[in-house]
Amino acid sequence: MGHEYQTGHEYKSSACPDYEALLEDSISGEIGGADAIRLSEHLKTCAGCREAREHVSLTPRLLHLAEATADPGPGFSRNVMARIRTDRDVRTERGFWQPLVSMGWRFAATATLALALLVAYDSTFHVEKPAQQAPTLEAARIPDMFSPDSGRVPSSRDEVLMMVAEDEHAKH
Amino acid sequence: MPDVPKDVAASASTVAIPLGRRTRAEEERDLVRQAQSGTEAAFEELIRRHQQRVLALVGSILRRREDVEDVAQQVFLKVFISLKRFDLRSAFSTWLYKITVNECWDYLRKKKVRPLVYEADLSEEQVSRLDGIVSADRPVAGASEQAEVKETLEWMLGKLPEQDQQLLVLKEMEGFSVQELAEILDLNVNTVKVRLFRARSRLMDVYRRRTSPGSTKSGSHSANAERKS
Repeated sequence: MGHEYQTGHEYKSSACPDYEALLEDSISGEIGGADAIRLSEHLKTCAGCREAREHVSLTPRLLHLAEATADPGPGFSRNVMARIRTDRDVRTERGFWQPLVSMGWRFAATATLALALLVAYDSTFHVEKPAQQAPTLEAARIPDMFSPDSGRVPSSRDEVLMMVAEDEHAKH
Repeated sequence: MPDVPKDVAASASTVAIPLGRRTRAEEERDLVRQAQSGTEAAFEELIRRHQQRVLALVGSILRRREDVEDVAQQVFLKVFISLKRFDLRSAFSTWLYKITVNECWDYLRKKKVRPLVYEADLSEEQVSRLDGIVSADRPVAGASEQAEVKETLEWMLGKLPEQDQQLLVLKEMEGFSVQELAEILDLNVNTVKVRLFRARSRLMDVYRRRTSPGSTKSGSHSANAERKS
């Protein structure tokens, strides 16, 4: 027997779920043979299915009132073919330049990578270099009394003494 | 010429339909093969054969007249590009309609809109006119009445879930078979039938609610609102 059930979107039907497909066939006029006999026997005893069938029986007439989409005519296929030709031309043109374009992209990518590596190496080098060469504070304060002047090289013991004396004099 | 018994005549007519269909299917296969080998005229003929149904299918999903033709053209462009990959194992129409459905959903996703929803109510005159036509079982007279009936039906369909609208429009207005709908929507034939039956029931709920005495009839059916997702 038919029973009421409900799903989303306010759907409420009194039809038996097992017979809904057959009821649809019957409404569409696409039922015959054993299915027609089976449904007919069922409808004799099921008021729910009879009611559900009656409820929707108007839908074909209602929906057939609206006309189907009109054929757009030969203009449509001509437009499509024109679009296809344009698209193919663009693809062909792109195909001609494609090897050069892809080579250019590869070159650009390699150059970018090389530049990035150089920048990374350079920044690392600059960070480490001052740390290695920076003199300590104490070393900066001690005067170098014994290193010879880069321009002058003493040739005798007297000259060494003279240079030390000149340095001392210059400081005072 | 002797009279042909009714049962024989019936069986002859039932044989004639598949033969006709097979010929058309074979013809279409030849056209596809020719188009695959680069014959443009063959592809143009395929477009001519299917343009109306592709437009109907796109229209049933997008429900936006200004975009329908553009999307339908895009569908045929895609079909042309991927035609060489089509292996002829299924019918060309099934393959074409599946591409159409996917293209429509892609389009809606890209545009980030959902199909049109009719938010305003119908006018009392529109409802009573439609009811008069249906109850008198008379044909629609004239272009203006046809336009009004279509608008009223679209309003009613707009009150249903999208899949219900699509099934009813394609089956009843555009003449797609249940088998075709099952293939296009990747559903079981039985599932399509059940969904169609339920969609009919929901449509009639909307119709009865609007045409039964005492129902609220207010406002006018003028605004079509686009719901941004």
